[in-house]
Amino acid sequence: MSEHILSVIVASPFLAALLIMLVPGDRHGPIRVLGFVGSVISLLGAIYVALHYDQARGGMQFGVVYPFIPRFGIDIRLAADGWSVALLLLTGIIMTAGSLASATLTNRPKEFYILLLVLVAGVFGVFVCQDLFIFFLFYEIAVLPMYLLIGIWGSKGKVAAAGPFKAVWRDLDVGGKEYAAMKLTLMLLVGSAAILVGMFAIYFAAGGKSFDMIALAKTHFPRDMQLWVFPMLWLGFGSLAGVFPFHTWSPDGHAAAPTAVSMLHAGVLMKLGAFGVMRVGMIILPEGAAAWAPVVGAVAALNVIYGAVSAMSQKDLKYVIAYSSVSHMGVVMLGAATLDTDGWNGAVYQMFAHGIMTGLFFALVGLIYERAHSRWVPSMGGFAKVMPGVAAFFTLAGLSSLGMPGSAGFVAEFLVFAGAWKSGNILWAIPAMIGAWVTAVYVLRATKMIFWGDGPSHEFHDLHDAKRVEWGALWILGTCIVLFGCAPRLVLDFIGTATGEYLPAIAKAAASIAPVALEIVK
Amino acid sequence: MSADLQPLMLDALLTGGLLLLLIADLFIKDEGKAVLADLTALLFGGLFAASFFLDTSGTAFSGAYVGGAWPLFFKRLFFGAGLLTALASRGFVAERFPRRQGEFYLLLGACVLGMSLLPGAQNLILLLVAFELMGLPLSLMAAYAKTEDAKGQDRDGAEGGLKLYVVGAASTGITVFGLSLVFGMTGSLEFTGLAAAPSSPLLTLGMFLTLAGMSFKIGAVPFHMWVPDTYQAAPTPFVAFLSSAPKAAGFAALAAVFLRGFGGAAEAWVPAVLTVTTLTLVVGNLMAIPQSNVKRLLAFSGVAHIGYMLIALAIGDAEATGVLLFYLAGYTVTNIGAFLVVNAVGGRDADVEIPLFNGLSRRSPGLAACLLIFLLSLAGIPFVVGFWAKLYVFLEAWRAGLWWLTLLGALLAVVGLWYYLQIAYAAYIRAPADDRTQPVRLDPRTRLAVAVCLIAVVGMGAWPAPFITNALDAAAVFLK
Repeated sequence: MSEHILSVIVASPFLAALLIMLVPGDRHGPIRVLGFVGSVISLLGAIYVALHYDQARGGMQFGVVYPFIPRFGIDIRLAADGWSVALLLLTGIIMTAGSLASATLTNRPKEFYILLLVLVAGVFGVFVCQDLFIFFLFYEIAVLPMYLLIGIWGSKGKVAAAGPFKAVWRDLDVGGKEYAAMKLTLMLLVGSAAILVGMFAIYFAAGGKSFDMIALAKTHFPRDMQLWVFPMLWLGFGSLAGVFPFHTWSPDGHAAAPTAVSMLHAGVLMKLGAFGVMRVGMIILPEGAAAWAPVVGAVAALNVIYGAVSAMSQKDLKYVIAYSSVSHMGVVMLGAATLDTDGWNGAVYQMFAHGIMTGLFFALVGLIYERAHSRWVPSMGGFAKVMPGVAAFFTLAGLSSLGMPGSAGFVAEFLVFAGAWKSGNILWAIPAMIGAWVTAVYVLRATKMIFWGDGPSHEFHDLHDAKRVEWGALWILGTCIVLFGCAPRLVLDFIGTATGEYLPAIAKAAASIAPVALEIVK
Repeated sequence: MSADLQPLMLDALLTGGLLLLLIADLFIKDEGKAVLADLTALLFGGLFAASFFLDTSGTAFSGAYVGGAWPLFFKRLFFGAGLLTALASRGFVAERFPRRQGEFYLLLGACVLGMSLLPGAQNLILLLVAFELMGLPLSLMAAYAKTEDAKGQDRDGAEGGLKLYVVGAASTGITVFGLSLVFGMTGSLEFTGLAAAPSSPLLTLGMFLTLAGMSFKIGAVPFHMWVPDTYQAAPTPFVAFLSSAPKAAGFAALAAVFLRGFGGAAEAWVPAVLTVTTLTLVVGNLMAIPQSNVKRLLAFSGVAHIGYMLIALAIGDAEATGVLLFYLAGYTVTNIGAFLVVNAVGGRDADVEIPLFNGLSRRSPGLAACLLIFLLSLAGIPFVVGFWAKLYVFLEAWRAGLWWLTLLGALLAVVGLWYYLQIAYAAYIRAPADDRTQPVRLDPRTRLAVAVCLIAVVGMGAWPAPFITNALDAAAVFLK
């Protein structure tokens, strides 16, 4: 059992998708049940992995290798380290909640669930794959279904054409779902092209024999090569993690996507990007990472502030949450750039915490939009009177978002800021803390405008609270926020195991190399 | 004698089968002629199956023809393409050209015969004859859709055919001129003899002319102008064939002349091929963007694919050649599949514009899913064969130090995705037009052909290892 558990986790959504293909498209019930069962099996698998992962031993566990293309040294190697455990749990939770949240979908649910499950199989694959090539394959599988998911089931936001390029905006239908889907796909694929090139560079520099990531991490690559390959991987994966200025697909994409897709995309998929930067970029190319760390950190600090300020000026509810994701992903990248134990633990914990929190946010936004048929914040008000449950959970997510002690978001941000401070990067920590304060401003303001005050006005006449299975999604995610805020060690211990193994090599590299600008001058 | 003909067993069987087909055509009445399609398909299917059992190794005609793994790989490809084309043409040809059915399949068979002889050729004469045996039937078939009814529909057919014929004749002339210079300077018609000759300016000129002539045939930039016009005008099932198998044959000829013949003079021709490659990649991908006619779009996409394959040719060692074979096989099944779906959706419409695909996923979900998979394979998306094909080419390019081609190719692949998604977008996201809400009608044979393509595309994508190994082995024998 235990040697095949990772295969089960990756295969179960995929098999569920195959089974759904056999169900006639008008039988909505069985399709939903299959989708839900496929996600729950993966979640149970992730819990099994968490329970049976031997923290004392650490390292890669549950390893299994299937030969794939021996000729080029490509094998399907699955194994989980502490980071994988945390992120598998996250993906399982979000996907289960997401399949509950899309229970009300009536427009072509068959195709929707097939694409969603394939996407999730890709996400699981990335988190447990230890072969660089297959890692890239899973990454692509996780990214590509987004085009159709947003293009078919997406919605149009209210984006007023403005500025000197007004006419172009209107022509491109900025804010429309087709525009968002195409923008997202093309931007992420340009990132993929950069990853592909970086991947080849690593493969051939290591002798062109194997894509095994564990072996590659032990290989010492020439310093010049690390210096130019690391930025390729940083920007390639970073485009998915919302690194400034390659984040612009994300607000449009998240705003246009249907509820479950926004949940998965902001909750899990953006983490793939940050995970890729750390797992591939930093661990395989430690000297490149150490040299570029000042740049990565500075851009991340910019991300936090820029995302928060942008979120503050949005009036479309989905855009508010989407920009807040950009800001929070900045915290993840900032933690990664510290190259410090607390910083890295905080970065991975922030992936986990932000995943749950933003998943809850998008689930709630979906509920509100479905009932109010509007995402325009200024027109709302007083919703708490008719949807008290939704209001309570929205407030809870908001508090986690702004880093309220006792919520998961607090633990993550605290660790990242502590790491930044400890590693001597006070200049990053201060803007990031200001960003966290701005977050408090826009989250609380949005909560007030939507739920409190007068109203709801008569245009929102059929508002009502969450119903039946929708409660499931809210309770799962809400409980997780509080649980992992009060008992962070449940997940943090796993994360710390892996961080403790990877960091010494990077610290050694950092001691031997100057920031990239100085290196290039040399 | 019998030992001498052993490597040509399959070709001999094909010739015999074609003669029988010719006789059968004489005795079958017009109404029943559609059965000729099935007979042709059976012939190709039988030959494809026989290629796994017959031993075709050895040498024939005093060394002018050599059998073995390399020609066998191509033969399977050509018979497979012929089989799919015959299956899918039946309904179309019977409906549109009821009185000219027999000739269509004979021409198809003759063309496949020419292609099948080509990869084993060891000297320039046999190569050229085989090449022309392939080329002439193609021009005739391209003109098949000449004015058929009083309304003048398909009046472009003659134009497309003539264009292919004139360009083909001119390119043959250029190739022959080039090869005659080569012969004059080396005194040899054998590829092995070419390799031994000392370099000279006239020999280099001969090489360049040969390269230009053959670039016309495969549709590489700047010799690609006939491609979109011919594709647009010719019958779609035939375009499926024209866009795949003859390209593979063209690469077989290029590989024979350049990799084996001029392999030693690589520094003379590789820069020229790299220039053509870069142009083909960029122009093919960029010109596909503004196309609204699906056949023209796929034509330019085909040009772009030729560019990717030329990368492998320019590298030119055994491994890259194996990758080229894999690419050709993957491209053939994908492109035939894509054109067959286009044919089914286009129906009787002469011009297949993108809006015709609107709402296809709601009209015929299965067909739309097939189309999507073919398009993703053309775009090079993981787990379909096109991804591995592109990936292997990029890997080889990097290994050969052409990292800039890897980067360019990867970026242009993103551009490619953009125009392929235009079709997928219409099929999946747009609503169907009011007068087109019924499912697309597919005759059972086309359905079978599309299913075969789909299985090949997905199968080779999910488990590429045996296919790439086979291709690499064939190439290793070829360049030994």
